[in-house]
Amino acid sequence: MASEKRDKEEEEVKTDDGSPKIKPRPIVQLGIFLVAHSPVFSVVFSAAGVLALLILPLLAKNTYISENALMPGSARSMLSNRDVSDGSKLVKDIKNYWLNHEGQVQKLIGKYMSDMGAEVYYQKFHPEGNQFHPLHFFSGPDSYTLLDNVSCASYGVNVAGIIRAPRGDGKESIVLVTPYDFINGGDYEALSLGITSTLFSLLARVTWLSKDIIWLVTDSRYGDYRPVAAWLTEYHSPSFKVSDLLKCGELNTADTFRRAGTVAAALVLKVDGRSERFEDTLSIYAEASNGQMPNLDLINVVNYLAVHRQGFYVKVEKVVSLLSSSWLKIIGEIFEAVGKLARTLNPDWNFGIPAADYLEGSATLASSLYSQALGIPTGPHGAFRDYQVDAITLKISPRFPPDSKTRQHDFFLRGARLLEGTIRSVNNLLEKFHQSFFLYLLTSPSKFISVGVYMIAFALLVAPLPMVAASLYIEGCKALTKSTDNPTENLKSWKWLDAAKQVFALHLLGFIVTLLPYFICQVPGQHSPRNRSIMWGTTSSSLLLITFAIIPGCSPFSSRHHGTNWAVLKSVTISAAFIGLCLMSIINFATAEIGALLLVPTCLMAQPIKPALRSRRIKSLLGAFCSMVLLTIGFPVMFFAISKGLFGEAVVGLSLGGEFWTWLESLWAWKSATYLYIGMVHLPCWLLCLCILFHPS
Amino acid sequence: MKVLTLVMLLCYSFAFSSGDTTIHTNNWAVLVCTSRFWFNYRHMANTLSLYRTVKRLGIPDERIILMLADDMACNARNEYPAQVFNNENHKLNLYGDNVEVDYRGYEVTVENFLRVLTGRHENAVPRSKRLLSDEGSHILLYMTGHGGDEFLKFQDAEELQSHDLADAVKQMKEKRRFKELMIMVDTCQAATLFNQLQSPDVLAIGSSLKGENSYSHHLDSDVGVSVVDRFTYYTLAFFERLNIYDNASLNSLFRSYDPKLLMSTAYYRTDLYQPHLAEVPVTNFFGSVMETLHTDSVYKAFSSKTSNNKINSEMPLNQLSEHDELQKANIQNDELKTEKQKCPYTQMRVDLHKKLEKLENVDTVVNLGIAVMLLVVMVSSSLL
Repeated sequence: MASEKRDKEEEEVKTDDGSPKIKPRPIVQLGIFLVAHSPVFSVVFSAAGVLALLILPLLAKNTYISENALMPGSARSMLSNRDVSDGSKLVKDIKNYWLNHEGQVQKLIGKYMSDMGAEVYYQKFHPEGNQFHPLHFFSGPDSYTLLDNVSCASYGVNVAGIIRAPRGDGKESIVLVTPYDFINGGDYEALSLGITSTLFSLLARVTWLSKDIIWLVTDSRYGDYRPVAAWLTEYHSPSFKVSDLLKCGELNTADTFRRAGTVAAALVLKVDGRSERFEDTLSIYAEASNGQMPNLDLINVVNYLAVHRQGFYVKVEKVVSLLSSSWLKIIGEIFEAVGKLARTLNPDWNFGIPAADYLEGSATLASSLYSQALGIPTGPHGAFRDYQVDAITLKISPRFPPDSKTRQHDFFLRGARLLEGTIRSVNNLLEKFHQSFFLYLLTSPSKFISVGVYMIAFALLVAPLPMVAASLYIEGCKALTKSTDNPTENLKSWKWLDAAKQVFALHLLGFIVTLLPYFICQVPGQHSPRNRSIMWGTTSSSLLLITFAIIPGCSPFSSRHHGTNWAVLKSVTISAAFIGLCLMSIINFATAEIGALLLVPTCLMAQPIKPALRSRRIKSLLGAFCSMVLLTIGFPVMFFAISKGLFGEAVVGLSLGGEFWTWLESLWAWKSATYLYIGMVHLPCWLLCLCILFHPS
Repeated sequence: MKVLTLVMLLCYSFAFSSGDTTIHTNNWAVLVCTSRFWFNYRHMANTLSLYRTVKRLGIPDERIILMLADDMACNARNEYPAQVFNNENHKLNLYGDNVEVDYRGYEVTVENFLRVLTGRHENAVPRSKRLLSDEGSHILLYMTGHGGDEFLKFQDAEELQSHDLADAVKQMKEKRRFKELMIMVDTCQAATLFNQLQSPDVLAIGSSLKGENSYSHHLDSDVGVSVVDRFTYYTLAFFERLNIYDNASLNSLFRSYDPKLLMSTAYYRTDLYQPHLAEVPVTNFFGSVMETLHTDSVYKAFSSKTSNNKINSEMPLNQLSEHDELQKANIQNDELKTEKQKCPYTQMRVDLHKKLEKLENVDTVVNLGIAVMLLVVMVSSSLL
């Protein structure tokens, strides 16, 4: 923005004297050139931005272990059959327990832990989920201070065991989490306990630990995330008030909550479902809230050990529907052909990848981008990220049915070896994970795109915004005062203030609309999500009408002649969108990228529809049609419906409102910044574009 | 007069160009491991292996300065507490009872290293931490760690540059702290560390050329780290075949390095070193073979020295040995000549002593002396 101002000043110098006194600096000249030809450049830059996004799978690099200290796989596994039989015994005992007793499997697990030599304790927690509170949006993890009026009706119990490092300093720890439903845990879930128990049995007797090991069995009756979050809260912010929960139930949890040192890394292990492939499948989930990722080294270590040592088939999430999309396949084939051509020209240019790889890569990339943009953690590991702990969820799908005894031994051995290797690597660390990337997108478990590469696509996409804003501003000022002789005065004038007022008013409206769900939730009585969304919709639209009525010149329907010039309005709108997108790219890049894909074309194409209809020229009619289509897609509810359709879930009619409400509710419940972006950047800019569309010029 | 000038000349020649003619009398070793952290286990194992070798070949512990930047033996990650191995067979514990680490942990800095070499210590530094070498010393300087083009990393914070090393060696030469110095470096691009060396009588050998890496030899999958570097491993393999009396030459050591096995090219810089490598036994640096000198009577050879000592107590220790060698050199010379081969100042003192002996009337001299002293006391007190 600063350079733009300078541009204008330089221009002033020129126009004042008729002939330029001083030759403007090259960068200024370039700026003037870009602004003067902004329509061409905006098309070129936007197209380049989209192309850069499509090229990303080609630019993915192979992952590598960046931290020297990790040394994955350099130590031989020390697991013995005795350890495995410990694990198998626990699984068998749990099954018998279901047959003979009722409840309190925790005690059984606790007994196993203490038999291995660990310090065991039980933690009771409240299953109360996250509540939307507008003031607590970025305030970090909740402190859950509402412990006064608790009832014993429902509470969860976590079991945790700590193995102290025999010669360690006790300042750091590694956490292993296995979610388990203590009331109706399935057979597969029990297998995860078996693997961890196998490992724990080994870790209790090894001499090489430098960090304490905590095994946390969480009560997954109340979801995967909440019990882990409750344990972490207690771990990091001890409450000195005796909770009423302690008195509930038969389990004596009066013993103190034990702690080890700072959590260096955490692994969440889940066993679930049967693998569709011939090998056992390991899925890695890494996305935490607001698109935060754990250090890439952690994923690298797990991936390396799983693939090269234990022979798992490793995968990360991908958008399956994209795999069969024909247009992406065509693009992949084009890139393949271009890559081949480039290689014939110069053998060093080997950036081409096969179309199938491209398809896989883009499907994974899309999923990675989507999960990050959503800002909702993809597993219990997300709770750790709130405390700046690197954590991932490993979901193992065995290739055998859960009751197969013969396969189970081998499965436990390999699963525990994978965890042992990972823990030994993390154990070697001297500092927090810091060597590798935190900002990246995955295109496969062993390929990534770093921030330096994927930022280019975004930068290209938003680059036209300031250029177009500047050129529109100059144009608008000229149009406003054709009569006056001195155009310099116009540029200095405060003509844009009217437009800014309107932009500000609509942003304020967006802010209020963002806060509305909080008040709607306070409305007494049970309401279905559909009703709530209808309430929200009606309130918002009435607020919009009130705004138009109160603030003169704000409404697109006002027939007043001296209303704001649409070019200036568009200029200010674009500036606001630019600022909003850039801010969002700092908070959550993926959201900003997807938002820019929607918002940038909408903002650039927006123009009054009336003159276009009046002129009846094909070019202007086409422009008007495009802007209308873009505006329709750009409406958040519409976009939600379209993306649902893309993902293969057709939503029609009124249930859409309910679905949308539920989706938004999940966004604010997880404190996703995407929610704020939709309400405070996207919605106002969309409304402003609507105003421009219906501008009476 | 002729005799006097001859004596003067001899004195000068011994004082200022001693290197060529002094005889190798003792051996020192400075062994440095410069890197910290568990994954650099091998560097400590390298240094300890060499420590064990030079000790086995006869350099006593008080003449070895051992610098270890980290303590792997007691690292919590070590599966074998208080033990360090340089081979996966775990047959040899390098960290036994008799390991004296002189500088350890954060004491291993560039500053301390240069202080050890140049001998500029603070007063409080004990003798065991000093390199008390003299101009008859052969010094082995072994360094291992992470290096690069003309530098060697110390700890994780500082670097020793080739200029620093060359400067320290030059100072050592000026201060006559060694007769011959052998520098052995096992790092990446080790050869570049010797680029700035200029001082004579320095032999340098590095594990790799510029642009080459030095690799570890093998991984101990029980300990979970690499335990020894290739260059050091093959050096040790060579020395394991030797005992204290072997006459293997430096040439045979240098020829034992196979670039294929090392995966790097061992480099030796010999232009500063005159002796023919094929004639120099490795024990000149890696062992401590002292030549014994047979004399007829035990105390006779030392008698003149002790009288000198009484006369000039400030005479530094190394000058004594100088005399020693001088006597050996002129072993055929008669008693008188050996007596006279001293510095002019000493000669004057001896003459004075003789004159005093010639005085017959000692008592009168003493009495007169007392009277004079009394007079002096009276005059000074009255003045006050």
